Amino acid sequence: MSEAIALDPYRPYPECFDELVESSGYARPQALAITRFIMQNGPDELVRRQAELDRTIAAMGISFTVYSDSENIDRAWPLDVVPRTISASDWQRTSDGLKQRLQALNLFINDLYNGQKILKDKVVPSDLVLKSKNFLAPCQGFEPAYKVWANICGTDLVRDGEGNFLVLEDNLRVPSGVSYMLENRTVMKRVFPELFAESTIGPVDDYPVELWNMLASLSPRDDVTPCIVVLTPGIYNSAYFEHSYLAQQMGCPLAQNNDLYVDNDVVYLRTLRGPQRVDVIYRRIDDTFIDPQVFRKDSALGIPGLIGAWRAGNVAIANAPGSGVADDKVVYAFVPEIIRYYLKQEPLIDNVPTYLCMDEKEREHVLANLDKLVVKPANESGGYGILIGPRASEEERARCAASIRENPRNFIAQPTLNLSTAPTLCEEGLEPRHLDLRPFILQGEDVYCTNGGLSRVALRRGSLVVNSSQGGGSKDTWIINHGS
Amino acid sequence: MLARVAENVYWMGRYLERIDDTARLLNATTHMLIDSPEDTRFSWPVLIDVLGEDAKGFIQEGSSSELGVMHYLIAAEDSSASLRHSCAQMRTNARCVREVIPRDFWEEINSLHLFVQSECKVASSRAQRYRMMAQVIRRCQTVVGVTDGTMLRDDTYRLFNIGRHLERADMTTRIMDVLVLQQLTPSDDLQGRRHFQWSSLLNALGASESYRRYYAEEEGTTDVSEFLLTFGAFPRSVAYCLNKIEWEVQTLPHADAVLKALANLRKALDSEPLHTLSTLQMHELIDNVQAGLITLHAALVNEALYAPAA
Repeated sequence: MSEAIALDPYRPYPECFDELVESSGYARPQALAITRFIMQNGPDELVRRQAELDRTIAAMGISFTVYSDSENIDRAWPLDVVPRTISASDWQRTSDGLKQRLQALNLFINDLYNGQKILKDKVVPSDLVLKSKNFLAPCQGFEPAYKVWANICGTDLVRDGEGNFLVLEDNLRVPSGVSYMLENRTVMKRVFPELFAESTIGPVDDYPVELWNMLASLSPRDDVTPCIVVLTPGIYNSAYFEHSYLAQQMGCPLAQNNDLYVDNDVVYLRTLRGPQRVDVIYRRIDDTFIDPQVFRKDSALGIPGLIGAWRAGNVAIANAPGSGVADDKVVYAFVPEIIRYYLKQEPLIDNVPTYLCMDEKEREHVLANLDKLVVKPANESGGYGILIGPRASEEERARCAASIRENPRNFIAQPTLNLSTAPTLCEEGLEPRHLDLRPFILQGEDVYCTNGGLSRVALRRGSLVVNSSQGGGSKDTWIINHGS
Repeated sequence: MLARVAENVYWMGRYLERIDDTARLLNATTHMLIDSPEDTRFSWPVLIDVLGEDAKGFIQEGSSSELGVMHYLIAAEDSSASLRHSCAQMRTNARCVREVIPRDFWEEINSLHLFVQSECKVASSRAQRYRMMAQVIRRCQTVVGVTDGTMLRDDTYRLFNIGRHLERADMTTRIMDVLVLQQLTPSDDLQGRRHFQWSSLLNALGASESYRRYYAEEEGTTDVSEFLLTFGAFPRSVAYCLNKIEWEVQTLPHADAVLKALANLRKALDSEPLHTLSTLQMHELIDNVQAGLITLHAALVNEALYAPAA
């Protein structure tokens, strides 16, 4: 391909990988069509399309919920008009690597609840798992369908300075965001019909069907069309939009706990026409809230007897209770070893380099380089307790060092990364903004990975915070087959 | 379908119809005044009364003017009679049941809500108001059209229709009551304008042409109130709504109490030769019909939707 188009006057950061342009400012092959569109139509047209896109999102009612904002709990979803492009060949390897990773993680979880061979072989330290609050003793001795515990996984990826995809974390409990990936595409098709006509953009809208098929493959009854329900905590949950969207797209009832009950180890749905037997529950409620008889007694969201029905094999729950045991930042550090142990393969995608503070040598390195590293506690989520070394004060680093010495097992450290960027429409025109990527992987009878995923963008200059609740935005992610 | 979802769908239908009918009522009232002689005395707070809010409290706050009443019925956030409030309620109901309704349906409802939220604040002049109400009516019809063309004929569709027709029967009688109550207000020279007012009522319900044909083709009855209460071929008549509700309710389990309430309502409508009623008697009859509709609603929600599970 001889065509060379520069995205003027856009300039990427020299130390970061830009998703659309090379360091010279010229478009990467997978970004030719969008770059040509921007250069031919000019900045005003891009601003007009962004306005049209915002109107479309409002009309479609695509929203997300912010707990702290009592006035307007239901906010319009932020989507940047410039898509992120990834070449199909890059994606193929990444997607294979994600499937490999989930398969290994599921073998690992199944082993932890049945036999614990990997602990006996001392590949992963026993204490690490058995003392984790995410290891749920009532799940021991159970084997779900296909021995798969985490049926739906959202893995966060970032790109390093050279453009290599690295895994930042695996979300194995109730990963969210897939509905926004799907809706982003619907909106972009309405706003950029001409681009979809001329490029080969990998489709994403098969996800609800793949999800339904995967859930159906878990059904304990194979002689009837399974009754699958999506279980939500309700309209005030931050991911309610997604729960209702997925139920709608799959054609399944969206149930709250009071809509379900257990009788004689069988789960039923209360319907207008009487009780209906439930085969598969896609739960969007945390593990420890789903059955007050077994886990948290104070849970108002749970269904008494659900775990009994599950253990009796009368209902499948996805993700299976207990799968969160592998959703832990210290376990994360062992995933490459876990892949080698169970699959006898080399990992196709690397972790972000990670230092384990439980290892004496690595701990000393961490303590000596706190000003260059990000330190994360193992068992917290939502960014709690994270120390960003280069931005922390001397005092904060000293406090962190003390915590590490006191409980080394509870900490990991990673270098600060130059996250990749993509041109993003800002006040002053197109500017580089950092982003990450969350693809979604399904495993039931088969394994499936989405074509791309949800790209989240830090909208403030230089910021690495991509969470939408903290002002982050999103981009449609195009997997483009541009030939060779 | 889940009982909780069923109730939400039913309410969504009620709110949608209420928005449509309120917009029709406000438009027809405005129209009537544009056509009226200068000295016409119109009791604005009656509009608030018929829409089920307490007009007395409103008048005490000193805003019984056209502008004040219209603001209250269109844009006021604290009034459960306002279009804005009904739209917000409808959207909330739809949001709770999005998983059972077609995507286009949700988008139309959502954009109707956004339209009303943004336009209601500027609808102060009669011309602006007319345009806005015409848009609201059209958008409501689009929502109904989308359901008609795409929705599965299942319990969701049935409950949506039951909600719409129950509300419609209620609103038709409320809109009739506006005129009846105007006639009960002491005033000189009302007699001469009666015909004129009834034709405004027909306009409000989109019924003028239908009524002319009814008048020309059906023998004997020439009374507008009889047409609006009992003529089953007109889709906004109370009789039509009751037939529709009966048709949809029959397929639900535990429908006995609802069917009984329907039978009682029919009895009330059939027992009197309606064109012989005085204005006061007509007002009483309308009151009775509305009480019957409340009973019908209670029977539906308490008996048919939340019947004890087997």
